[in-house]
Amino acid sequence: MKNFSIAKRQIEDISVLDISGELDAHTASQLENSLKNLIDEQSYRIIVNCSRLEYIASAGLGVFMAYIEDVRSLGGDIKLTNMTDRVYNVFDLLGFPTLYDILDDEKEAVNGF
Amino acid sequence: MSSTSPLSTEERQSRFELRTLLETSRLLIESQDPDFVLNNLLLITMGKLLVPKGMIMIHKPGDEAYFVSKSKGRGWLAEDDEIIADFDQDILDTSVLTGEKYASVFETLGIEKESTIFNLKTSNHHLGFLCLGPKGTKQPLTNHETEFIESLAIISSVAIANSRMFQELRYINRRLDRKVHDLNTLLELSKDFNMMVDRDEIARVFKFAMLGQMLIRTFFFALDVDGEKTIVSISGVTEEPDDIQLEKLFELEDVTHVDGSEECHFLTDNNIELVIGLRFQNEKIAVVGVGPRATKEGYGKEEVNFLQSLGNLALLTIQKTLLLEERIEKHRMEEELSLAKTIQEGLLPNPIPTIKGFDIAAINVSSRQVGGDYFDILKLPDNGNLIAIADVTGKGVPASLLMANLQSMLHALAPIDVTLEDASSRINDIIHENTPADKFITFFWGKLSTDGNLFKYVNAGHNPPMLFRKGTTEPELLEKGGVILGAMPSLMPYESDEVELKSGDLLVCFTDGVTEAMNPDQTEEYEEHRLIECIKKHIDKSSEEIIDEIIRDINRFSDNIQYDDITMIVLRKD
Repeated sequence: MKNFSIAKRQIEDISVLDISGELDAHTASQLENSLKNLIDEQSYRIIVNCSRLEYIASAGLGVFMAYIEDVRSLGGDIKLTNMTDRVYNVFDLLGFPTLYDILDDEKEAVNGF
Repeated sequence: MSSTSPLSTEERQSRFELRTLLETSRLLIESQDPDFVLNNLLLITMGKLLVPKGMIMIHKPGDEAYFVSKSKGRGWLAEDDEIIADFDQDILDTSVLTGEKYASVFETLGIEKESTIFNLKTSNHHLGFLCLGPKGTKQPLTNHETEFIESLAIISSVAIANSRMFQELRYINRRLDRKVHDLNTLLELSKDFNMMVDRDEIARVFKFAMLGQMLIRTFFFALDVDGEKTIVSISGVTEEPDDIQLEKLFELEDVTHVDGSEECHFLTDNNIELVIGLRFQNEKIAVVGVGPRATKEGYGKEEVNFLQSLGNLALLTIQKTLLLEERIEKHRMEEELSLAKTIQEGLLPNPIPTIKGFDIAAINVSSRQVGGDYFDILKLPDNGNLIAIADVTGKGVPASLLMANLQSMLHALAPIDVTLEDASSRINDIIHENTPADKFITFFWGKLSTDGNLFKYVNAGHNPPMLFRKGTTEPELLEKGGVILGAMPSLMPYESDEVELKSGDLLVCFTDGVTEAMNPDQTEEYEEHRLIECIKKHIDKSSEEIIDEIIRDINRFSDNIQYDDITMIVLRKD
């Protein structure tokens, strides 16, 4: 298994996922499961803190695409924060930032809800 | 310093202008933002000349049109307005246009003829116009002022051309980056897929890669495995397509930009924009569909290419897993068959039992892993012996199952005191009832009396065994019996016959694999006459040797190509 892990925190009614390592084809399903669980638990306010995310492949980004609209239609959002430049570049190249929230700092995201 | 002589007003103004020019040009040249450049150009010139109205019009390349980039003051076109205008080249080459000389230009742009128009151009490109309204003092521009604005216009034009070029470069760079990313995704996935054997995982990764790469949320991937079409991964649709819709998806063109003419409500219901068919060995075995891109960009040639490449990659990987499974399955079947062969071999007597006063030999050679020939030599409760030989129609597993069935019946019946005739009828009825109409067994069996002098037999449609009497040349054929087993119910009882065996008599039982062995051209069978010739030639040898000679003769005749099972029992009374 590749080096990838997800830790979950709670800030009031907001769930924060701290993801670290490499999010690629092999690890995408781990993130998918975490997001699915949150949706099942009806916690739709989600922050994904990417400060320790070292790499993201298209498949990893696809997981966000698969769930972000669902979460939004349920009155919540998935906000991404604290990306390194390298990771941000991939999101940017694919045109993600113009459509969805990518914030510099987790606090901003918390206040944004 | 007091020694400096005071400058004239004119000199001071000139210095001021030079400094303005220098600072402005640095500011503008360093900026890579055309908007900033234009805004500054307009504000500086308006401030310098104290004009209350100003406007910058930018030529739209490729169109004979201008749009208003900046507009200050009232009464002229507003920002972002567009006008259609096509000016002669000599106008575009003129740096400063005045209302007196170029009234038509002023009219077209909708500005008073007291205004001044400065051309924004580089040495080879016309970019647009800087239009400045009349001064508040209504005084015309002095030459000096005109020159100053002209210089600023030139500097600004260069700055704009630079920043345009810079933006174009940035755009090209970004496209290149994107291309590199696309290729990386393909490369990475081809490596990732290589390590995967789970079809669901492959389909899921393919889905997520597509969602991420295209920024979409609607996606489906349908696969046709041996004519069975199913959805293997799907995202963002309200309802999966039913069988009819699936069929339609596979009938679409290989690249279909959905426009509603497809008459497939699954596509329109779910807002699918593009459907791509994927082929393997020229057969369409997968269909991929994608919904609108979040960036609203639509699907161009590059996107279609990417989708096809990634789709083919996923498809090949899935194909690979199917082949792998097929191979594993084949391997398993082979193992099972070899196990079946071992079991079947166990059903035949081994070693061949001996019978006091007789020289016995037998052989069974299967042409396949499992066969339908059967023979047996069994001791009876009265110390007599049962000898049986049979051939099930067909080959392979079905024949071997029936052969096993016959073997168990024979062993169940052998210890019971029933006549051969009755036992034959019972076996026939059971086989007839329990097997399809096209399955038969030719069957010959006989009881050798305790003292070995009498042999009573029933022949149910089997190749008649040959009894060579000592001293005679032509064999007697043991033909008495009844119909082949399994063809019809036992309406007529089976008949039996009894022959006396004397010292030196030779009995040869065989299946049709012996007499129907073919020559290499497949034009001729081995037939009874060759068998008889061979036996006669070696009649003085042991039973074992006779079998060896027959096998050798058949192999010579057929050039070692065996099509059917070969079984023989040879028995000679001492």
